[in-house]
Amino acid sequence: MIEPVALKDFFLTFFSAAMVIMAGALYALLFAYSRVRARPRLMPLAYAAYICLVASVLVLATVANLFATGFWTIIVALMLVGYLLAPHAIWHLCVGTHAHEHADEESRSFRQQS
Amino acid sequence: MAAPGTVAKLGKLDLANLNGGQKLAVKYFTVALILFGAQILFGLLAGIQYLKPDFLFGVMDFSVNRMVHINAMVVWLLFGFIGSVYWLLEDEAGIPVVGLGLGNVIFWIFTLAVAVVVVVYLLIQVGPGNHSTRWLIIEGREYIEAPRWADIGIVVCVLAFFYNVAATFTKGRYTGVGGVLVLDLIALFGLYLAGMFYTPNISIDQYWWWWVIHLWVEATWEVLVGCLMAYGLMQTLGVRRKIVETWLYIEVALMFGSGILGLGHHYFWIGTPEYWFTIGGFFSALEPIPLVAMVVHSVFDAGAHKMKNTNHPALGWIIVHAFGNFFGAGVWGFMHTLPQINLYTHGTQWTASHGHLAFFGAYVTIVIAFFYLGLQKWRGNVWMSGGLIGAWKWKWAMVLLNVGMIGMVMAMLISGYEQSQIERAIEGSTWSGYFIAQSHPWFVQGNWWRQVFGCVFATGFVLLVWDLLTIGRDEKRPAIAHGELATA
Amino acid sequence: MSDIQWWSSESFWRKTAIWVTAGSFVVLIFLTLHSMSEIWAGSKRVPAYSVINHRIDYVFDEKRNFQVPVIGVEEPLFGKKLTEEEAEALVSRGKLTVQAKNCMNCHTLLGNGAYYAPDLTKSWLDPWWGSKEVREQQMVEFLMSPQDRVHNGLGRRMPNLGITEEEARATVAFLKWMASIDTNGFPYNFKPIKQEN
Repeated sequence: MIEPVALKDFFLTFFSAAMVIMAGALYALLFAYSRVRARPRLMPLAYAAYICLVASVLVLATVANLFATGFWTIIVALMLVGYLLAPHAIWHLCVGTHAHEHADEESRSFRQQS
Repeated sequence: MAAPGTVAKLGKLDLANLNGGQKLAVKYFTVALILFGAQILFGLLAGIQYLKPDFLFGVMDFSVNRMVHINAMVVWLLFGFIGSVYWLLEDEAGIPVVGLGLGNVIFWIFTLAVAVVVVVYLLIQVGPGNHSTRWLIIEGREYIEAPRWADIGIVVCVLAFFYNVAATFTKGRYTGVGGVLVLDLIALFGLYLAGMFYTPNISIDQYWWWWVIHLWVEATWEVLVGCLMAYGLMQTLGVRRKIVETWLYIEVALMFGSGILGLGHHYFWIGTPEYWFTIGGFFSALEPIPLVAMVVHSVFDAGAHKMKNTNHPALGWIIVHAFGNFFGAGVWGFMHTLPQINLYTHGTQWTASHGHLAFFGAYVTIVIAFFYLGLQKWRGNVWMSGGLIGAWKWKWAMVLLNVGMIGMVMAMLISGYEQSQIERAIEGSTWSGYFIAQSHPWFVQGNWWRQVFGCVFATGFVLLVWDLLTIGRDEKRPAIAHGELATA
Repeated sequence: MSDIQWWSSESFWRKTAIWVTAGSFVVLIFLTLHSMSEIWAGSKRVPAYSVINHRIDYVFDEKRNFQVPVIGVEEPLFGKKLTEEEAEALVSRGKLTVQAKNCMNCHTLLGNGAYYAPDLTKSWLDPWWGSKEVREQQMVEFLMSPQDRVHNGLGRRMPNLGITEEEARATVAFLKWMASIDTNGFPYNFKPIKQEN
């Protein structure tokens, strides 16, 4: 079911796993910043972060022997697609949930009544 | 909120500034802060024993210090959470707390029970190997060491607390935050029962033990903090309720969706079947998704609100929370969670490194933020935004606590890296392998650095206490009104 | 308000949160029921307590790609063969001792606990006990007076926890039984004590 990491690959495993999360967050951050500040020139940087993420995932998958089994290969593929789409989806959600931000002042939080 | 009559009292600690639930909340906060101090003290003692094993040997052994260290943490965070819930209860429900008298009595019983348990831990420590020991002295299961009598006492206290919360929301109004909170508290305290039985079978023991530990720390506590954050954001940034509550539901869906079955990553090596590799691996890959959502949303929000806020220290700690949660739970968690590498890192200083950063980032920060919210109102809703008198104290306390924590975590990371290679991979986890790894210069130096940064952290704590006692004392300005935030 | 899409509405996410939580929990319940049937004492993965009447080894399995416990010839603990009930009582006494002496706040069991002292998962098989002939006695004596036995260059010692001889023997039984649990290859690359005749 699992093929443990080889001793020589320990550092690469930890480093690439950390980079997966870091690059994922950086991609999300740059993506959101580029949109919120309307700076499309930053968008290539966001995708560059995503490419770092892809590289990190592939390194992690290789050293952790994930490609040895079909199940783990599918997880890797899902992760790559999921991380690519997640910031887009969440951005839409932000815009959607804030759509009425300036619409009606009455529904502001209840706290004034306390 | 700041009625004209209270202006003269600005800056003075006065319980008249608080509602009933908040008066009880500050009692919980006070005990929480004292236990936070105890946690740090016993952590330092246990750390010294790594360096000088004869220190307190046979008097207060490592096991005792370490147990008090982690139990103080669990209890002080719980006290902080309970206090925070009492803090927001009347604001949210719109009526005074139902059964507040009972809540007050329960507070004293709870505190007394904690004190008795700690005294027994320190003075009696261990007992004979029979059932009376686990009923009266110690249960000997990490994190939930409290003897059975105390477990039952905790359940009773918590039921009374739950009655306060549920009855107040029911009689007043159920906000979205209130609804999530009540359901989460049912789950949180129901899960505690999963740890209250004895079996000789260590696999079954640990299976249910993880229900308590994991489903608390990585599911129900997260959602509880989500509720507190929702309230905190409405208070400090003036974010609209509808948005905050929609996002609370989104986070609940993401956190429970990944966190409940994320339990699988604790079932790799305790005797449970191999399919937990699959489940644990899959949900470990999912777990960063809520974090990504938080990153995107907070950038969006920062753009919308430009960070003008009523309480700088509280918002500062909420920001530390976002980063700490991301690094502690996200990065540190994912680095060693896949079974292919967890086989080597499970039960090493890796776990300690991850545990320290995750508990601090996810929970300590948020309770401290509530301490500041509490003090602001306790002093008559005093100014706590830019140009606050004596602001260097909260800033330096924050710097020292963070630098201390990061230093400790890095030191343990280096020790853990060495340990997983030498003890686990090369030496095969035998006793001699264990001690070879523990004697390695990387490990020994890691222990020294951890101690040094532990002292930095302790210094930060002292400064934090000093700041909490004095912040806003000399301020004469009232806090920014929420109406002004909206125009920002 | 009319510009809010269904997928960004509060009620949609409230329902989603409830369904996701309930769904995950139901799945967890089913997995738990199945796991319980797999780790009941007497199951394939967690042997019955009377396994302490046999030799237990930890051998590499080609098919599963890690070491697995192997139950061998009859080798009763302390030379006395126990019935299932006697074995359970003894192991349970050992487990109670492990809890009462707070072992888990220095050691790890199945990798969980504190990290100040070695993992106990396969301590029954540890080469540190010398030979299998003296192992049982060594373990009992160690548990009863560990404070005089420095066994590492760090000066770290186990304190005297007032363990009686009866408790020590029960603890050894618990540790022997624990070594028979199939832990999916944890600890990895372990080098067990020589047990061949």
